[in-house]
Amino acid sequence: MAVAVNGPILSLVGLTRRFGEIAAVDDIDLEIEDGEFFTIVGPSGSGKSTLVRILAGLERVDSGAVLLRGRAITDVPANKRPTAMVFQSLALFNHKTVGENIEFAPKMRGVDPRARRARALELMDLVRLPEAYYARPVTRCSGGERQRVALARALASDPEILFFDEPLSAIDYRLRKMLEVELKDLHRETGKTFIYITHSLEEAMVMSDRIGIMRAGRLVQIGPPLEIYQEPRSRFVAEFMGEVNVLATGEAGVDGAGWLVVRPEQLRPLAPGEAADVVFEGRIVNDYLLGSRKQFHARANERMLIGEIAVGAGGVPGPGEPVRLGFDLKDAVRVSE
Amino acid sequence: MSGTRDRLITALLALWTVLVLVLLYVPILSVVLASLANTRYMRFPHKVWTLDAYRDALGQYTTAELHLTSLKIAVLVALIAVLLGVFGALAFARFEWRGRSLYQRLLLLPIFFPQAVLGLALLLAMTAAGITPSWRTAVFAHLVWVVPIVTLVISIRLYGFDVAQEEAAFDLGASRLQVFREVTLPALSPGIVSGGLFAFLLSWSNLPLSIFTTGSDTTLPLWLFSRTATNYSPLVPALAVIATGASVLVVLAAALALAGWRRLVARRSA
Repeated sequence: MAVAVNGPILSLVGLTRRFGEIAAVDDIDLEIEDGEFFTIVGPSGSGKSTLVRILAGLERVDSGAVLLRGRAITDVPANKRPTAMVFQSLALFNHKTVGENIEFAPKMRGVDPRARRARALELMDLVRLPEAYYARPVTRCSGGERQRVALARALASDPEILFFDEPLSAIDYRLRKMLEVELKDLHRETGKTFIYITHSLEEAMVMSDRIGIMRAGRLVQIGPPLEIYQEPRSRFVAEFMGEVNVLATGEAGVDGAGWLVVRPEQLRPLAPGEAADVVFEGRIVNDYLLGSRKQFHARANERMLIGEIAVGAGGVPGPGEPVRLGFDLKDAVRVSE
Repeated sequence: MSGTRDRLITALLALWTVLVLVLLYVPILSVVLASLANTRYMRFPHKVWTLDAYRDALGQYTTAELHLTSLKIAVLVALIAVLLGVFGALAFARFEWRGRSLYQRLLLLPIFFPQAVLGLALLLAMTAAGITPSWRTAVFAHLVWVVPIVTLVISIRLYGFDVAQEEAAFDLGASRLQVFREVTLPALSPGIVSGGLFAFLLSWSNLPLSIFTTGSDTTLPLWLFSRTATNYSPLVPALAVIATGASVLVVLAAALALAGWRRLVARRSA
């Protein structure tokens, strides 16, 4: 995680935006450090897009303030903010070439043609677009190439902060994985502050310094990826991570209200006579090989459990076989809501 | 064999295409043939082939005057219709506002009016307002009918336009005016070109509106119509052929000017 030297680059203070009765952004306080890769993760309708549009200056606020290095920019329009956005649809200028798209911001600032061309070629090199693409219409670029054009175009405005509104959501899996890694590299190379929006926690984990989980207009948990993964503070956050077991305390024989979050790798098949704090008797439904790990689904007490073990470590009974599964309370995370 | 059937279908399609083309061009060809005669009636075949009618047409002052009147009306109509059409289309297809659906319906109404009725209505309104009809009032009359069509043509472009492009331009530091000039206008330009072309040709060939609204001025279609009805001579088809050629020339010149302008813009921004 980036170290704060000059204080936060961006501060959000009591930020609120309502659409009719619904608060899309509900009293959000947040500080983003200079050079940080901050990702806001939430399901659709959680208000994450509205939040980033407010930060970019494309959406007004009902109350609260946005501060850039301590200076209020709440009412500064998007074209006067030192920020740039990569849109979900990419919003490339379809009637322009790759070069013209990238040079748009310098052109608006009155940079002379030769200097902006040099800058465009420099950025194309940075995002790994061949120089031959300079004069190509963007309509003749592939999905991945269009992503790179959008990125270079945003960088060409020399923004202090770059916003990303789910730009990778419409891309196939392999290309997305590749672009995620490239984006993380680019973040390190440029040293700029990246604020990224996604509905995929997996995507957020790969790239981010910190993650904020958004639900119904509020940030319900903020922290580094590992902390979010290991110490979810609510069922919502835990279930958002996908394959995880959430058990009511009563189900596990534990006193008090609330839930226990048990990650698959903490649920292990027990050898005969082996003990664990919480034990389930059930049957294996199926198993799936995930490279170096094997995942299994089991049915016990009318519920499904997901477990994972390293390949070659003991082993799991085959589908349809009875099994004893167990976990220790010290491995489970207890949440109250 | 499917190969035989494919060949048959191809042959039938070709035959159909030829038939359509013949039906389209035989009337025009017959006008050309009629213009080469020296008879006082339109008939074919004629015995004498002559260019006398063209000599007469080019020699008389009326020919140039008719073309000039039609041309200035059509050019003005095209320019004003495009200007109104661009902003009309933005209101029609781009922005959400109270009363938009009412506007959309009202705008289309003049297209559904029979033109002769529209022309008569406009004449009555102008007379009531004490305006003397002339070629200027004809420009207005043509616009009433042409602007809705041009607005629709440009609107079609807007429906396929990603609004985020405007936001992206604004986000990258463009002013509202720059956003319009750099993003919205170029995206609309194919619609503007075809809309302008439509407007020019619809005005150039309009008869029913011009009959009522030109006053003492005469346009090409008006002159052709009245001379066909009474006092016909091969001068009529000859002038029709010249007028067709002139409109083709105007459209070609506009296309060339546009292409040249685009090259100039491309070179300047390169």
